[in-house]
Amino acid sequence: MGPLIVNGIISDNTNLFLAFLIGIGFGFVLESNGFSSSRRLAGMFYGYDTTVLKVFFTAAIVGATGLLFMSLFGWIDLSYIYINPTYLWSTIGGGVIMGAGFILGGYCPGTSFCAASIGKLDALAFIGGMFIGILIFAEGFPLWEEFYNAKFMGAPLLSEVLGTSRGLLTFLIILVALGMFYLGEWSERKFARSDYQLNQK
Amino acid sequence: MKQKKYMNPYVGGVLLGLVLIIAFWVSGRGLGASGAAKSAIVTGVKTVAPKHVENTAFYQGYLETHPQPMKEWLVFQMLGVIVGGFISGAIAGRLKFKVEKSPKITSKTRLIFAVLGGILFGFGSQLGRGCTSGSALTGMAVLSLSGFLSMAAIFGTAFALAYFARKLWI
Amino acid sequence: MKARLILAAVLIPLGLIIAAVPENTTKPYKLTAEQLLEEVQSGTQFIHPDQVADMLVSKDPSLQLIDVRNADEFEKFSLPNAINIPLTDILNPEWEGYINQDVKLNVFYSNGSNDANEAWMITRQLGFKNNYVLQGGLNYWAETIMNPEAPENTSPNEEFLKYNLRKGAGLALGGDAENTQSAPAVSAPAPPIQKRPKKKTVQGGC
Repeated sequence: MGPLIVNGIISDNTNLFLAFLIGIGFGFVLESNGFSSSRRLAGMFYGYDTTVLKVFFTAAIVGATGLLFMSLFGWIDLSYIYINPTYLWSTIGGGVIMGAGFILGGYCPGTSFCAASIGKLDALAFIGGMFIGILIFAEGFPLWEEFYNAKFMGAPLLSEVLGTSRGLLTFLIILVALGMFYLGEWSERKFARSDYQLNQK
Repeated sequence: MKQKKYMNPYVGGVLLGLVLIIAFWVSGRGLGASGAAKSAIVTGVKTVAPKHVENTAFYQGYLETHPQPMKEWLVFQMLGVIVGGFISGAIAGRLKFKVEKSPKITSKTRLIFAVLGGILFGFGSQLGRGCTSGSALTGMAVLSLSGFLSMAAIFGTAFALAYFARKLWI
Repeated sequence: MKARLILAAVLIPLGLIIAAVPENTTKPYKLTAEQLLEEVQSGTQFIHPDQVADMLVSKDPSLQLIDVRNADEFEKFSLPNAINIPLTDILNPEWEGYINQDVKLNVFYSNGSNDANEAWMITRQLGFKNNYVLQGGLNYWAETIMNPEAPENTSPNEEFLKYNLRKGAGLALGGDAENTQSAPAVSAPAPPIQKRPKKKTVQGGC
């Protein structure tokens, strides 16, 4: 059955329209959780607000579990799902640069668009910077092309690397995530700030 | 108008996970953000300097696989994000032009660092083939090695540098 | 906080289940009658004899010809390196290793295309990949590859090219004789081989 587009159940244009609807859901959930607030996002790294950790990992474990169950019921063919390839050095290098950008800018690309939509000017500045960054990457591409393509490992799954089944790995990640949520709530109490309110249900 | 409270993070996480699953079910791919920005950049450069695009291998390579950069899945998804964010903000009474920052720094400082962070993030997302949503979140949901690697690299670096950037936030 | 405990209470059992259940490796979906009809009508399962001939001549190791006629007919004549899986026997588990795999390109053939097409429909319904049907079967094969008809003088050049290719392939593959001696590769642009496991490549990235 799924993915619908691969099995030709929906047309390309329907796919784009659904992308728009999915985006609305994405943006709505991000904003409702306060991902449009850079102080909330950055709070993760100082322990006073670990919403990012909670939302992010809850989404990841729900997504992983959901996909496996859908595959089990025959609703989706996992072999058609896009697995992002691993180029060891550029994945890590890119991640490090993004991490630095995150702590300085206070947003990541998805959340910056979301924040800009409700009028955050710092998010607009971040988006402007992001365009510059991409432009620099595109213009100087020959300079880092080698690094970009170095150490290509195909598109392995973590479960394959560890030699476990996907289900077992998912279960372990669920346990790790729940442990981190516990730590997160503890840290929110420990590092609570007088000038910052969590303001959530 | 007083702001409404944010959603419970676990509820939000479950909802986000469901959105992610729907995206997989519909199109076999997860969510993403920086890809849309890249499409916009390529389109922009192509409009401003078509000659330059013809002579640059990077743009040509991109246009070969994405003949119509603005008709990409991620572009439409990103337009949706803007609309969705706006709807949620409107419902919760959070629509307001403002610069969010620590009380200790000026707006100008905040904006300078936002641009700087944006440049780094834009560059890093291209190098790492995806940002927090496209590479880390989506990658982790499909259990891909690169998803976990980029998640660890992004959050690890941010934690490591948090001390030096503390003035910006606390 | 309460929400975290609820989340744990739901996700831990689900995680246990998913960890305990063996992974779903059988192809998860069956086609509905409508989907199958649509596929049959679109004819994407057919491979033209030209393509098969070209793969045979170039000794493409990914090609696996499967003769679905009965054993007697197979004894009398078969295409080079073909194996015999009679249609009546196709569900025998013995053959599953051949027809349910993702390394080789299986091409079913029979005298016409009917039996081969039925074999394809069965494997398709089972969710097996990489199975195709020789268009027109052996009859059409004989017409196009073994005894190609010379194009008329007024035909466009491509027709002649095709004819020469076929003639070469026919000779290389033994012409009217059944023997399958080795043959020099015909140096000509290979017709594009359509492998069809993915209708659309899913692109990702952020």
